[in-house]
Amino acid sequence: MTTGSDGSGHRNQSDADARLAAALARLPRAVEPPHDLWPRIAAAIEPATESRSKVSPGRPWLWQLAAALVLVVTSSAITAALLQREPARAPVADAAPRDPVGVRRAAFPADYAPGPEYHAARQQMLDALARRLDQLPPETRVVIAGNLAEIRRGADKIAAALAEQPGDPLLEELLLNAYQDELAMLANVDQLTRGTGARSAADSKVTL
Amino acid sequence: MTRFAPVLVLAALATPGMPVLAEEVSRRIEVDPAGQVEISNVAGSVVVTGWNRPEVQVTGELGDGVEKLEFTRQGELTRIRVVLPKVSHRGGSSDLEIRIPARSSLTIGAVSADIKVAGVEGVQRLQTVSGELVTSVGKEDVECKTVSGDLTVNGRGERGLLTLNTVSGDATVTRVAGEINANTVSGELRIEAVQAQRSRLRSTSGDLSLRAALAPGARIDAESISGNVELLLQGETDAEFDVSSFNGDIDNCFGPKASRTDEYAPGRELRFRQGDGSSRVRIKTLNGDIRLCRP
Repeated sequence: MTTGSDGSGHRNQSDADARLAAALARLPRAVEPPHDLWPRIAAAIEPATESRSKVSPGRPWLWQLAAALVLVVTSSAITAALLQREPARAPVADAAPRDPVGVRRAAFPADYAPGPEYHAARQQMLDALARRLDQLPPETRVVIAGNLAEIRRGADKIAAALAEQPGDPLLEELLLNAYQDELAMLANVDQLTRGTGARSAADSKVTL
Repeated sequence: MTRFAPVLVLAALATPGMPVLAEEVSRRIEVDPAGQVEISNVAGSVVVTGWNRPEVQVTGELGDGVEKLEFTRQGELTRIRVVLPKVSHRGGSSDLEIRIPARSSLTIGAVSADIKVAGVEGVQRLQTVSGELVTSVGKEDVECKTVSGDLTVNGRGERGLLTLNTVSGDATVTRVAGEINANTVSGELRIEAVQAQRSRLRSTSGDLSLRAALAPGARIDAESISGNVELLLQGETDAEFDVSSFNGDIDNCFGPKASRTDEYAPGRELRFRQGDGSSRVRIKTLNGDIRLCRP
């Protein structure tokens, strides 16, 4: 904007301001959209809201866990049926879970806590393993108990992180695998100590 | 007491089923050249070597307190078993050297006995609780399991399926190819593959290291909670990488740097393509560091 030395610049400025003020005054106070957009927005939001409310972030993961447990338990049962020549054991009651190898259960966030089937399978494996552990050298028992505790500590760390960040896919995957690793390790150790060589040891109450 | 000792020894030797003193053994039987051999020995050692004869030969020494050595053949199955008495407080440590036809399938079960296998081309299924396990592998499937025992597997660069499981034992693998599945809780896994087709490596706190050239279309999956993961890729690398860690560092020699997954969360991730991306590499840890590099 330029300003003349005779004052005409100030007048031009005032005229321009007055025209702008008048134009502003003619503008409507509120602008209505050409049509109501809200129903479309609401429709777009609604399904996501409903799906979130019906399915918690951990739930698909729990289905995977359930499937994995069924697989592990089934394969373990088949292995046990093939290898075990002892009389069948009575089903394990889960009312008061025991931890015969001294490995506690981790405290998981509610959404990620494994179901009773997991605990029953774990308990059954721990009971079976406890009988086998009695036949093993003390240093091997220490190794097994220590490593089960290691898995638990790992699961605890993941659970603690999940409590901070529920729904984190990396943490969910790691936690699921930690559950599987624990059961797989129990099954492996049970198989190792039940195998041909271990059978001799177990049956013979060998002190190595 | 001493004057009764010879009588007690004679009585022990004369009574069936009673444990005997240490005894040398040397036996041999004819078998199927591509049959199955099952060996069981609680303590001591088992050394198995493949040879070109259709025979199984057992030599060695049975330890104190061993009841007997079972050495039988039923069709294709040959069974060698060190039998201990029902109640024994002695270890029955026995050292066996066994020759089997090279094409045999082999199963060995032990508790504290060391296992060493060489020159066997058939399927191997080897397990020992606390003993050391050493074997060589070729094209056939090999499965090795220990609790605290260390594993050593030497390959010849032939494609096969190798499955390793330890609890705290370390595993060292050289010159293998094909598919490798390895799992440990706190042991360390060091794997050198001539060419990796598929590898699935898992640990809780043990470190994982894989040095390999990727076969076209390879799939590598490594995961650890608090162990470090190192992947050293030889030769041309054509792969898509998906690497993430919740708390660990990610070091990448191939170029791109890891980024934060969230402004307010500690997670880091790295996704990139190298070459034509025909292979897939996936690495996940909670606290372990990840290193992705060339040897």
